[in-house]
Amino acid sequence: MHNHHKAIFVDTFRCVGCHACETACKAENGIPPGPKWIQVMEVESKVAGEWTIHWKPMACMHCGSPACLKVCPTKAISKREEDGIVLVNKDLCIGCVECFRACPFGAPQIGEDLRMQKCTLCIHRTSKGGIPACVQNCPSEAMYYGSLHELSKLIRKKYTVRSIGRIASVVNPTLRPNFV
Amino acid sequence: MKKNVPSLTTTVNGSTIKVDKVVKTICPRNCFDTCGVVAFVKDGRMLKVEGDPDHPITRGHLCVKANTYVQRTYHKDRIKYPLLRVGKRGSAEFKRASWDDAFDFLIDKLNYCKKKWGGESLVEYLYSGNREFLAKAISGRFLNLYGSSKLVGSFCILSGLAGATFTTGTQHCQSIEIWSKKAEVIMIVGHNSSFTNVHSLPFLWDALERGAYLIVVDSYLTPIATKADLFLQPRPGTDGAMVLAMINHIVKKGLHDREFIANYTYGFDELMKEVSKWTLEKAAKVTGVEPEKIAKAAEIYATYHSHMETGWGHQRYTNGHQTQRAYSCLAAICGHIGKEGASCNYFELLAYKGLLNFDRVMYPRGAPHKTLKRRLINISTFGPALREAKDPPLKAVISWRGGLISQHPNVHRMTEVLKKLELFVSMEIFMTDDTDWADLVLPASDTFEQWGVHPSYWHPYLQIQMPVIKPLYESKPDIDFWCELGRRMGYEKFFPEEYTGLDWIREFLADDISHSTIKNALASNDPIRVPEKYAPRIPWSDRVFDTPTGKVELYSTGMVEKGKKYAGDWHPVPHFEETAESPVSRPDLYKKYPLMLISQHAPYRTHSQWFNIEEIQEIEGPPSIFINEKDAADRGIENGDRVKVFNDRGEISVIAKITNRIKAGVCEVNSGIWVKSNGSANVLLEQLIGGPRDVGAGIMEEYDFERDGHTIAYFNCLVQIKKEGAYA
Repeated sequence: MHNHHKAIFVDTFRCVGCHACETACKAENGIPPGPKWIQVMEVESKVAGEWTIHWKPMACMHCGSPACLKVCPTKAISKREEDGIVLVNKDLCIGCVECFRACPFGAPQIGEDLRMQKCTLCIHRTSKGGIPACVQNCPSEAMYYGSLHELSKLIRKKYTVRSIGRIASVVNPTLRPNFV
Repeated sequence: MKKNVPSLTTTVNGSTIKVDKVVKTICPRNCFDTCGVVAFVKDGRMLKVEGDPDHPITRGHLCVKANTYVQRTYHKDRIKYPLLRVGKRGSAEFKRASWDDAFDFLIDKLNYCKKKWGGESLVEYLYSGNREFLAKAISGRFLNLYGSSKLVGSFCILSGLAGATFTTGTQHCQSIEIWSKKAEVIMIVGHNSSFTNVHSLPFLWDALERGAYLIVVDSYLTPIATKADLFLQPRPGTDGAMVLAMINHIVKKGLHDREFIANYTYGFDELMKEVSKWTLEKAAKVTGVEPEKIAKAAEIYATYHSHMETGWGHQRYTNGHQTQRAYSCLAAICGHIGKEGASCNYFELLAYKGLLNFDRVMYPRGAPHKTLKRRLINISTFGPALREAKDPPLKAVISWRGGLISQHPNVHRMTEVLKKLELFVSMEIFMTDDTDWADLVLPASDTFEQWGVHPSYWHPYLQIQMPVIKPLYESKPDIDFWCELGRRMGYEKFFPEEYTGLDWIREFLADDISHSTIKNALASNDPIRVPEKYAPRIPWSDRVFDTPTGKVELYSTGMVEKGKKYAGDWHPVPHFEETAESPVSRPDLYKKYPLMLISQHAPYRTHSQWFNIEEIQEIEGPPSIFINEKDAADRGIENGDRVKVFNDRGEISVIAKITNRIKAGVCEVNSGIWVKSNGSANVLLEQLIGGPRDVGAGIMEEYDFERDGHTIAYFNCLVQIKKEGAYA
């Protein structure tokens, strides 16, 4: 995987599980009820004696070494060199769901045409300089799109702003584990 | 100031297309955010909506619901033509009718009712399905000419509004653009901004990242509460006790703002006398919140430059007016009022304070003057009013933009009384709970098919709702319906046929919103910052409080005065009383029904809207109940079991979701689930409302919506849960 390959980063501190990314994706890509190219998952857990909830929007990770690609018997899955987007060619897909079994993230979806479909990183937008619909729409501004290089810088900046913010805080609470 | 000219080129269904028309409009739902929306139209069909990046608050993002607007607008289940009932009321059996037949039927019935019982036997039922204000004013014109009873109030916020108004006077909100940059501590109370106010979040995160401290008070571990530095989770309906203890603790520690209290408040000593009864330990016992946490919240809130966002959850109890009073007093004794970055926001009243000229639209020259008394009906007690009104009885209801059945408590009693009406008309977009009971169902136009005016109740921006597409099928825009009804009933001169939506808007907006402002606004339809006289930048920065003493009233002389005239809870210093149906106030019921039922607003709906939209249903899943781990274990309930939730008023059948986001002894059903799906919490509720004024069945001669109150006590309900069987 190269540094210029594109990805989505979710700041999970900012995500509140409002699910707007799911319907933004569906509206943009014309997906009927059923397959979900992105889905917000929720986990409730106890942290330091207090109950809390975590959310994570899950789409295709567009992996550097995609497990789905390796198992596809018809070579329907490919990864683009220019931006790293993992795509499925519906004409070649036979709907065997080997990719479904191989993917650790549950990204592959099956539509009514019995072929695999999944997040394309809004290739119709991103290949023309746009950003994915879920990212653009996120009301909480929790999602970011960019090259791995750009995202790495962004995450570093976020961490720095927050740690300085906490030091500058007049109340100065203990750092929250999910905040930094 | 324009930043973006929306391009005709956009992407739809995974490909790039060129559309004929791009229209900026607004999402007019009953929601804090009132988003700017951009709609893309080709060949007369709306193909896509997205957020308007030029909106200063909503910044180009839409919520989970608004993203489905295209699917919703063109949904196969839209009501396409008028329907006349053929079966029994409630049987939902109809035949297709023409608009002419529909009007003839309606007018015959109205004439019959007016002749037999008088004009006041008619009342509209109007709420916020489309919260746009223009059509409401025009229906007001018709109903004034007709001489119907007049619907007043709101079942959502008014108890809290009374509490806030008696304390600090007229309510305005400091915009989040301002406070999020200055507050050191942010306290969010009874407000799940993560679901009902999502566009506040980026501002909030920026504040937290710069180092602000977040305190959240809620009976439910909301997503926003999971992000808090300090989260207080009181037993439902007991915030009041906690806040009184906080005030007591702050003053004991000497953390109060002596100068602000001395110069700008009235009745500090009386307040102290009341709060001295509330030690941290006593409050902890009542609320279930550890005393150390209450103390910590109090100290942090009092010490720093703190802003409070009070939502409406904490006031949906019979004691809601006193709870909001307590919060407003807490802000006042700390001096956190009227400062940049430190205020107490409850509700932005800009729409009601002259910006919209309701009088000019509702009471035109030649029509009955507004001083002419019409009987008032309080919407919070709509069911009781239908049952108990005499001289004349209420016999005809035209319901529009609301969910009469899905939104009111004690649903079974409501449907019983609907059977006795002479006429029940429902103007709707989909076949809802209400339409099933109607004699006449009229196809309403939706958001993108009509004009409107929509100011926010949280931020200071106003936008025009634009007709993006022609009304679909045989649907009529609300304005057209009321004007045509008026013309057909002989009020032609008051409803000129040539009047467009725009003409009505010019008449409706205050004179100081000039025609050129409107014209400019319409050219781009960017949001208009409402003039500061209607929505001040920093409310109360001038320390002018619209109360009888001109000060922040810790002891409310306004309430004392009201109490001389009306029955009710006019206790002039905030005090805590158990809610009407709580484990403490009703030990008899608690024995049989040991769980407190609350209902949050989920992100999936605004009230009952979007319940039937498949893209939303697949996210939310079937109607369900959150039940605490311990309560579930006690009842042998496992995650996903179908359970029966019941009390003496009714029962529902829902799926159990086991959680720890609510404490043991509390359960939660999302609000707005349709009654006919058998999962509506309102089936289980008693008809209880918050104060301060006691209006009985709500048949009134006078009403002050800022000070009389009346929020339906949606969270005052005891139930029991029983396992039904595993959900397949």
